[in-house]
Amino acid sequence: MTDVPTFQSGGESKCRSIKTMEVALTAPAWSLGTLAPSFRPGPDVDDVALAVGGDADAFERLYRRHVSKVNALARWLVAPADVEDAVQEVFIRVWEKLGTFAGQSAFGTWLHRVAVNVMLRRRQNLGRDRARVIDDEFALDAVAARPQQPELRMAIERAVDGLPPGAREIFVLHDMEGYKHDEIAELLGVDPGTSRSQLHRARMLLRKVLAS
Amino acid sequence: MHEEWTDLMSAAIDGELDPVTIRRLDSHLAGCAECAGVMADLQRLVATAPSYQGEAPAADLWPGIKGRIDATKVLSFGRRSPAGFGFRELLAAGIVMAAAGAVGSWYWAHREPTPVTVADRSAPGAGLELTSTAYDSALAELGRTLTARRGQLDTATVRVLERSIRTIDQAVAEARAAIQRDTANAYLNGQIAANLRQKLNLLKAATRAINSAT
Ligand SMILES: [Zn+2]
Repeated sequence: MTDVPTFQSGGESKCRSIKTMEVALTAPAWSLGTLAPSFRPGPDVDDVALAVGGDADAFERLYRRHVSKVNALARWLVAPADVEDAVQEVFIRVWEKLGTFAGQSAFGTWLHRVAVNVMLRRRQNLGRDRARVIDDEFALDAVAARPQQPELRMAIERAVDGLPPGAREIFVLHDMEGYKHDEIAELLGVDPGTSRSQLHRARMLLRKVLAS
Repeated sequence: MHEEWTDLMSAAIDGELDPVTIRRLDSHLAGCAECAGVMADLQRLVATAPSYQGEAPAADLWPGIKGRIDATKVLSFGRRSPAGFGFRELLAAGIVMAAAGAVGSWYWAHREPTPVTVADRSAPGAGLELTSTAYDSALAELGRTLTARRGQLDTATVRVLERSIRTIDQAVAEARAAIQRDTANAYLNGQIAANLRQKLNLLKAATRAINSAT
C-alpha cells in the first residue's frame, strides 16, 4: 500500500520544490526524503490546505473535482443500491482523515485509496465477501455489446460495468487504480495467482467487447 | 486465436514474463496477425484504463455530505497531531490563526469586564511580549527567505505561502490590538502566547525547509 501509482504525467519538474519542502517538513530531523513521482501540484493543493483548516467551501470544490471518479469506483466496487451511500461515506471519511494526508502523493491518489478501503469495508459489512471474487456470473453479454461512444476511454468505462464482479474489481484495482497483485490479494483475501488470472480474464473479456 | 499465446499476454504487458518466454511470444506475434491484433488491443486497453473519468452521481450528494461534516467541523488547533509540523500546518496556520484572532476579538468585545489584579498582569503578558518579538523576527526571516528563494519555488507554493504569511500577520496584529484593549486577562494572554509559540516554531520550520529544499 505504500507504492503510489502514477497516472498523470507532466508537471514533475514544476512540483519538485513543493514536494521537497513537504518531505522536509514532515520527515524526522527535516531530512530530505525521496520524491514521490506522482505528486502533482494543482488546484487541490490550495483547497486541501483550506479544508484542513475547516473550510467547507474548499472541501466542496475538492468534492466536485473528484466525485465523478469516486462515483465510478463505487459503481464498480459496491452493489448498485449502495453506490450513493458509499460515495457519501468516502467524502465524509476524507473530511475526517484530511489531517492525516501526508502529501506524499497527489491528493487524488490518496483519496482513491481511502475510497477503495471504504468501499471494500462496506461490502464486507454488508455480508458480501471473497466469494464474490470467484463469482462467475457473466454479465457482459447483457450490456450493450457494441460501445456506443466512439472514444475508447468511455467505451472501456461502459464495458467495465458489464464485467463479472470478481474480474471487474480486480481489473478496477489493478488497471484503473494501480494496485499490485499482492495488495489486491490482501485487500480481497484471495491468492495473488487468482488476482492475476482474474485480471487476464477481465482484459480478454473487455477486449472482446471493445473489438466487437 | 491461439490461447497458448494469449494466456501469456497479460503477464507480458505487466512485465512479469521471463526473457526466454518473451522472446518466444515475440517471435509468435511476428508471424501471427491474429495474436498480434489481440496483443495490440490489450496494450491499448491497459494504457487507456487509468484515464477513466466516471460520471457525477445522478443526484447531488453534496448537501448530505455538508450536513454530516458540519456536525464534525472543528476549528481548533487540536485537529492535527501535535507531533511534527507539515506543509499543511503551515498553510492552515494562517486560517486557524485568523479564526483564533476573530474569536479572541469577539470575546474581548463581548465579555464582562474583569477586575484587574496584580497577579493577572504579571507573567503571561511578559511571556507573550517575548514570544511576540521572536515571532516578528521569525516572520521577517521567512519573508526574506521566500524573497531570496522565490525563483526556485513554484508559483503556486509561493502564492500560498505569501497568503498564509499575510493572514498570520493580520491575525497577530488583531491579537495584539485585543491585548492592548485588555492586558489583564491572564488566561487569554496565556492562550495567545501558547499559540504564538506554536506558530513561531512553525515559521522556523518552514524557513529551514525552504532553505534545505532549494
Ligand atoms: Zn497466434
